[in-house]
Amino acid sequence: MDQVNGVFAAVDHVSFHYIQHGQEPLRALNHVSLDIQQGSHVAILGRNGSGKSTLARLINALELPSEGHIVVAGYDTQDHLNIWEVRRRCGMVFQNPDNQIVGTTVEEDVAFGPENLGVPQPQIRIAVDQALAKVNLSHVAERPPHLLSGGQKQKLAIAGILAMQPSCLILDEATSMLDPVTRTDFMALVAELIKEHGLTVINITHHMEEALLADRVVVMNDGHIVLSGTPADVFDRVELVKSQGLDVPVHGEILHRLAQLTGQKLLPLETASWASAQAGVIRILKTLTKKQQVQDMHETFDKGDDQPSQTTQNHEIIIRVENLSFTYSAGTTLESAALKDVTFDVRRGELLGIIGHSGSGKSTLIQHLNGLLRAQKGTVAVLDLDATDNHAIRKIRQRVGLLFQYPEHQLFEETIYQDIAFGPKRLGLEPAEINKRVLWAASIVGLKSDELERSPFELSGGQRRRAAIAGVIAMRPDVLILDEPAAGLDPAGREEILGYTAKLRDEGSTVILVSHSMEDIARLSDRVLALRDGRVVLFGTPAEVFSHPEILAAADLAVPKSAAFLRDLKAIYPSLSDHCYTTESAALELLRAGSEACQ
Amino acid sequence: MMSNISLGRYYPTRSILHALDPRTKVLASILMMALIFIASDPLPMAVIGVLTLFLVALSRVPFKQVLISLRPMLFILLFAAVLNMLTVSGNVLWQLGPIRITDQGLFTALRMASRLVLLILNTTLLLTLTTTPIHVSDALENLLSPFKRLGFPAHEMAMMMSIALRFVPTLLEETDKIMKAQSSRGADYDTGGLISRARGLVSVLIPLFVSAFKRAEDLATAMEARCYRGGDSRTRLRIMRYQLADGLFATLSIAVATGLLIWQFAN
Repeated sequence: MDQVNGVFAAVDHVSFHYIQHGQEPLRALNHVSLDIQQGSHVAILGRNGSGKSTLARLINALELPSEGHIVVAGYDTQDHLNIWEVRRRCGMVFQNPDNQIVGTTVEEDVAFGPENLGVPQPQIRIAVDQALAKVNLSHVAERPPHLLSGGQKQKLAIAGILAMQPSCLILDEATSMLDPVTRTDFMALVAELIKEHGLTVINITHHMEEALLADRVVVMNDGHIVLSGTPADVFDRVELVKSQGLDVPVHGEILHRLAQLTGQKLLPLETASWASAQAGVIRILKTLTKKQQVQDMHETFDKGDDQPSQTTQNHEIIIRVENLSFTYSAGTTLESAALKDVTFDVRRGELLGIIGHSGSGKSTLIQHLNGLLRAQKGTVAVLDLDATDNHAIRKIRQRVGLLFQYPEHQLFEETIYQDIAFGPKRLGLEPAEINKRVLWAASIVGLKSDELERSPFELSGGQRRRAAIAGVIAMRPDVLILDEPAAGLDPAGREEILGYTAKLRDEGSTVILVSHSMEDIARLSDRVLALRDGRVVLFGTPAEVFSHPEILAAADLAVPKSAAFLRDLKAIYPSLSDHCYTTESAALELLRAGSEACQ
Repeated sequence: MMSNISLGRYYPTRSILHALDPRTKVLASILMMALIFIASDPLPMAVIGVLTLFLVALSRVPFKQVLISLRPMLFILLFAAVLNMLTVSGNVLWQLGPIRITDQGLFTALRMASRLVLLILNTTLLLTLTTTPIHVSDALENLLSPFKRLGFPAHEMAMMMSIALRFVPTLLEETDKIMKAQSSRGADYDTGGLISRARGLVSVLIPLFVSAFKRAEDLATAMEARCYRGGDSRTRLRIMRYQLADGLFATLSIAVATGLLIWQFAN
């Protein structure tokens, strides 16, 4: 019964409306048809609100189509008697690791599914042990789940599904709260399960690298399927994909931009892989004529390197951290050293990027900069104030704004306006000044005046994120610390939030940006601080820091992809600088070096 | 900030008391409660006291750890004792103005205090220190399941308890995070007047509630996706089985209880 003509799930002209009380029904899907082959790996891409998660919920019979039919493993989800058959065959991993764990211990959580199916106890035991072994969690079987890392929690979610012996795994943005290394590790596990068990995988994601692992990519927008095909086919249509608010792989984008700059046409599937894109670059640069060079050189000459436009090298130092060490739960069995002998400084007006894998001490470090944590050893001086002194901390908090990950959860006032005004009010400002600041902050993050009068809980996640950011910048801090401000957003939303960061820096604020994205850090920062296991391993300009691929690799970090792409072409174009951190600058740099080569 | 709060204070070690079936321990603690309330003379009280010490030895939990469980109740204990001492009439032993202590009062206060102490010690020993909360919840579900026919939601209650236990650490962590985020915006939770502090509390509680509801919604979806549809025809990974030790423990408890009851009514 599980196999019907090789098609695992058939979505046939399905529409779906969310019924909201007292409002127009919200159309999430509009006549979508899609066949998912047994044993295939399908990636579904699309902006937030494009309907991709709705599609996943329909396939798992968590929602039922308003129109049309979905047949999963031979069971039509419209029939109420079938929904349990569908759900036991399709396991679903959700976005938030914490909100899908039911059990008070790891093994109990894995047992939850089989228990619901009424599997006899001896078999549950076997299924739980096997599932935990497969995801490498056997050693924590009896631990309470809140002690697991984010990556382990998502693996636990997979184990809970495997124990039900499913034929399909649906990942609903399952990796969006994980860091890049953990994400790669998680996807490697998924690939292994596909190989071993012939599972059908449907991966809803914002990450293009994950889409490249699939057999088939489906791009959705506004409740429709706009594109579908192999990853190579889909990402070959660079402009169409980008117009959907999505990213294409860096190599494809550089090649595409280079072709645009030189007026050349790309060969079919030339963007498909790293190697084919490099071959494409060489092919295009060979065809360059002298005439074209003269034309293009004028605009390209001074654009090659991504060096910061205005230098902050001589600016005063406003944060000075010396030999800072910090240990959690010192003197107990849970003791863990989070920071070891950290020394660095921050200059007024600069954008300092902090990189490091999960658990490297980034979050502990930034909490020292506004006195949320007090230095146990070493000194932290912020704006000439001692960040361990209680009186100084009050002043420091007024001048150092700190925004944690997923800040939209901290909104609490009746309206967005009042929430943004909370910080300025606590500063004891005059009402007129508060009003001015709220409107200014709202304008920076692009909140409209009618949105300011609405409740934070009526807005979308992206709007709430903006409001939370405005709440901190309205305090006009001397230093703004942002911990992964773009986490969990789609590529277009990400770009927008990072845009504000750059804007604030250009207006003279000092910004400290914590991010897992080497690309973002490299192109935005004046200086970069790299942490590994609580120690500073590299500190300097992006060009300095990203010239040490070995040290970065040892810290589970990497060189930005565009720089790596150029580095691989250095053998052919020796004059190529690899300090280009955007696809635009990389394409221009290739053009420059290519022109030089044919002179 | 909140990481030092621990709930239930289960003391992990291996002992006869730890290994008993949780149902045995629930029933035994109910029996103990009844005995403590029925016993009113010093002799049966002393016997129960000795029995309690015997349980402490069986549990292999350090005596200090056991006494710590009394700490939160200390105020109520003293209050009840003093109240009894001062209000019960009898032969005056000592008097200062309107305050007087009588022999009857002293006796009642002592009896009251020892009752409370024994009650607390026995329940914490049997149910908190040697049994994980989830086992207590299992035991209650199992013991109450005969009442399902009368419409008593035994499974639902146990599921609620287990989910609450699962999410307490998560929500504590979240509280910590929200407090830090609001502190960064100038909220002050330690100093300032009553109104300012209450206002501070609002800035923590609202985001916390909103997030708890969101989590509840997500969790419900995740549970449905894993085919949860209530307690009927559900099986369990953890199976409770009465062992020989349970039989012996139950026999001894009943014997002691019967002995005490007979003595009590004979007098």
